[in-house]
Amino acid sequence: MEPKSSASSSAKKTPNQNRRIYGLIAFLFLWSCLIAVRLFSLQVVRYGEFTQRAARQQQRTVEVSPRRGMIYDRNGHELAMTISVDSVFAVPSEIPDQANAADLIAGVLQTDPREVLARIQSSRNFAWIARKLDATASQRIRGLNLKGIYFQKESKRYYPKSELAAQVLGFVGLDDEGLGGIEKKFDDTLRGRPGKMLVSVDARQRSLGRVEKQPEPGSNIVLTLDEKIQYIAERELERAMQETQSEAGTVVVQDPQTGEILALASHPTFNPNVFHTASPQLLKNRAVSDIYEPGSTFKIVTVAAALQENLAKPEEMIDCQNGSITIFGHRIRDHKPFGVLSVSQIIQQSSDVGAIKLALRLGESRFDQYIRAFGFGSQTGVELPGETRGMAKPANRWTKSSIGSIAMGQEVGVSSVQLASMVSAIANDGVYTPPRIVAGMVAPRTTPTPQAVVFKPAEQRRVISPLTAVQLKKMLEDTVLFGTGKKAILDGYTSAGKTGTAQKVDTKTGRYSTWAHIASFAGFAPVNNPAVTVYVSLDSPRGVHHGGDVAAPLFGRITQQVLAYLNVPHDADVRHSRYLQLRAAAKNADLSEGSPDRLSDTVEFYGDLTADAGPVPALSTSANSSKPTPNEQERAKVIAASFTPEQKTQPRSVDPPMPSAETSAAPAAANGTVILDSEGGRVAPAFLGKSVRSAMVAAQQAGIEIDVIGSGVAREQAPAPGQTIPPGGRVTVRFSR
Amino acid sequence: MAKRVSADRWIFGSVVLLVFLGLIMVFSASAVMASERFGSAYSFLFRQFAWALAGFLAMLILMNVDHQKLKHPALVFGLLGITAFLLVAVFFLDRTHNVHRWVRLGPLSFQPSELAKPALILFLAYFLESRTKSLTDLRNTLLPALAPAALFFALIAAQPDLGTALMCLAIASAVLFVAGFRLRYFGYALLPLIPALYFLVWRVPWRKERILAFFDPFSDPQGRGFHTIQSLIAVGTGGVSGAGLMEGKQKLFYLPEPQTDFIFAVISEEFGLIGSIFIVVLFLIFCLRGFRVALRAKDPFARLLAVGITAMIGIQAFFNISVVLALLPTKGIPLPFLSYGGSSLLIMLASVGVLLNISKQVE
Repeated sequence: MEPKSSASSSAKKTPNQNRRIYGLIAFLFLWSCLIAVRLFSLQVVRYGEFTQRAARQQQRTVEVSPRRGMIYDRNGHELAMTISVDSVFAVPSEIPDQANAADLIAGVLQTDPREVLARIQSSRNFAWIARKLDATASQRIRGLNLKGIYFQKESKRYYPKSELAAQVLGFVGLDDEGLGGIEKKFDDTLRGRPGKMLVSVDARQRSLGRVEKQPEPGSNIVLTLDEKIQYIAERELERAMQETQSEAGTVVVQDPQTGEILALASHPTFNPNVFHTASPQLLKNRAVSDIYEPGSTFKIVTVAAALQENLAKPEEMIDCQNGSITIFGHRIRDHKPFGVLSVSQIIQQSSDVGAIKLALRLGESRFDQYIRAFGFGSQTGVELPGETRGMAKPANRWTKSSIGSIAMGQEVGVSSVQLASMVSAIANDGVYTPPRIVAGMVAPRTTPTPQAVVFKPAEQRRVISPLTAVQLKKMLEDTVLFGTGKKAILDGYTSAGKTGTAQKVDTKTGRYSTWAHIASFAGFAPVNNPAVTVYVSLDSPRGVHHGGDVAAPLFGRITQQVLAYLNVPHDADVRHSRYLQLRAAAKNADLSEGSPDRLSDTVEFYGDLTADAGPVPALSTSANSSKPTPNEQERAKVIAASFTPEQKTQPRSVDPPMPSAETSAAPAAANGTVILDSEGGRVAPAFLGKSVRSAMVAAQQAGIEIDVIGSGVAREQAPAPGQTIPPGGRVTVRFSR
Repeated sequence: MAKRVSADRWIFGSVVLLVFLGLIMVFSASAVMASERFGSAYSFLFRQFAWALAGFLAMLILMNVDHQKLKHPALVFGLLGITAFLLVAVFFLDRTHNVHRWVRLGPLSFQPSELAKPALILFLAYFLESRTKSLTDLRNTLLPALAPAALFFALIAAQPDLGTALMCLAIASAVLFVAGFRLRYFGYALLPLIPALYFLVWRVPWRKERILAFFDPFSDPQGRGFHTIQSLIAVGTGGVSGAGLMEGKQKLFYLPEPQTDFIFAVISEEFGLIGSIFIVVLFLIFCLRGFRVALRAKDPFARLLAVGITAMIGIQAFFNISVVLALLPTKGIPLPFLSYGGSSLLIMLASVGVLLNISKQVE
């Protein structure tokens, strides 16, 4: 573009000048293109890089805890909730006089001003001063009106019912992490996603304002627990522990049909609101994590297996050899010298000899199968942390005498929940349902309406046939009526159950303790259509320590109240007075059972236990046999005389039977399953509430015929329960859904 | 023959739009800082608005004053003389920060270096029109033409404001280029400029820092690279559509002078690629129309005047944007119409008034 010398200089408009103008245009155009390319490169290609850089210098991120999900009981009552509390933070660069501010705040918090000042000076743009303050403290700090001091709403866990179901619920730490129970097991679900507080800062590191990214609240969890039942269980357990001066105790209340745990109590307990003041021992859930020898309650398994395998019949007479048996060199004595007992009486009287003889008929591997089928030796899967598997050695690791020990509930370790679930399987006509404590989850900010929560039953399995189950139920009912469980008799309800007394291992000596026992009672009610299974255990009661003496009354008190609360219709009104008579008699009865004799004197099985079983004791102990005192033997005779089957129909009674039409039935077996023979005819049993199948089984047992109309649950029957069926008559039962 | 047409609507429209956007962006960029420094977020906006009103008044007046009347020696040399006087006077009047840039009259302050640019353009257009036949005459044409430019360059560079000084040279070069000077003269002119720039840039520590920062801003992100990096972050975070008006964060003390030299970074951050390109296109439209006016001008005076005014605005705009985008080293050049700064805005708008008047008289 070398300009030519301006030949046409006189022209006002020169082409040369125009060319140069175009040159300038081109120059500026190219320049603007370069700018556009650069803009594209910076804003599109390298966008991410610069966004990151900007965030790094402009934002200080502070995490904001999300609102933790609620924990509800099955009826939507809050058991654990999250409340909003104030946390105080400082933007130190905005505080004119930091030392003064620290002094004032420390005055409210009653802490060291230097500590507060150190916090303030830890950053230029953000520093927590105090987290999760109570309302009064935050109000007072607000009142100070300090510049550069701000408040952030944070959530704090609050357990409105304090100690109620403490071990089930667990507790959370300062940073909302679940540290026990449901809080721990479902921490991910409950916790939600933390939000962020972005503190924007300018180039001088001063805060320019805060942007909150809202935290996502956690989901709510609905438990199968019923707050009221839990309360009943805990109150009665506490009372029983005081009365018996027990060291600890557990209660499991379960719906036998669904496996849902309605109450799970463990005492002594703690207040999860102030869990840090509780000793670690109190925090664990004994009902799922403690393992102990069940003792006689385990005989249910022995007898169930023998009946199911057709190796015995309920009425079959077993020679109990005057209460003594020698098995592989070990001599076992019953607590009473029983002669010949029926299988049913073995349960009723809790005969060790009888149980051992039945187990021997089963053989090791079959017995082992049933133990496992009833859920022992493996976790039940209940949704709580730290659940023990229990201790059930496989049959191939049994010693020769193991079968005898296990038959009477020794050399086997169980948890309360395992045992309750076993009893529920009997109550549920032989179908084992794994226990559950979580009903479901509901989305955040949703109240747990029945629609929102799906109570879906766990996978069930049949362990014994309905017939075997019915036979066992009767035996267990008889145990309450005539055997060791008399103190479990209820008002207006039939009940069934089995007592247990097991020696504890003395952790100091490594031997079975001679004085420390675990007294337990496992049962259900009403017998025909069980509404609840209740298992209670008391650890180391002082003085009287037999399950029948200390655990059965606890079972009775809890079950009585729970049935009333659940509005379960009475099934024993008509025989009320007779129950009272029996109870009066039971007051004098010696309900001792279980023998201090052991087939295996070693406590080696505890070596298999996990750490939660405490120190592993020494391997071998000397045999400890304590003979019944003369006094006990004397009482045993009275009992034996009073409660032999022959005498069932003539119980000693203080008061005569209450005269009424319904009680024209002979005061025979107070048994809900079997109708009572009477002089004039038969009394119709209660079919109401039963399924078709269980009604038919009951009818078959009772030897009466029924006409089934419809399907579902029995709603009506004629004749009504307790009324006399004309000879040759039938009972018509109407079922509906 | 010359005929009278209406003023160029594209120039008028783009300038009005740019000034309007400038008011918005000055507010957005300065609100936080203004409320902190002056207690009112509108402090900068109100002043800019007042200057814009004055500027538009000047523009409307000059638009309707025949530009041929500017072809008067008293006016041309008077303007040169006043500018030279003011440029000398600032050394005695303004002692803030060892920078001598401002003349203050009560609440008003004025930057004489802004006046230097139109004064130079007017002088060159006037002088070169009469010398179109003797452009190769070194002694009688070139040296007299360059003398005021060299004087202004020296005075402004001494303020020190090397950016504006170089801008004066660039504008003069553009006018001389279009006037028809041989290209090798520009080469000759560069020879003494190189050692001058060496001493002015490389021997002045802070300028050297800026140059180093330009070549590798990330080598010292908290020090000499800070401004460049902050500018790039502002532009980069804008993305395609930007953070939205007032939503930019980089103006909050990260960017140096967000309402003046780095206002384009604020625009880029808040309106993204779309907004940035829009501004560039507005300037491009202005330049194309400005040069179109020059092409159609009826005489060399009008043509050179139009070229000078258009080049002044175009070069300054693209230079400023290039600095923001780190395509050029940091120099304190405001973005015409958009940057906060009263004297600049007033003079730019008055110049546009002249350009619009030229556009009314085409051949």
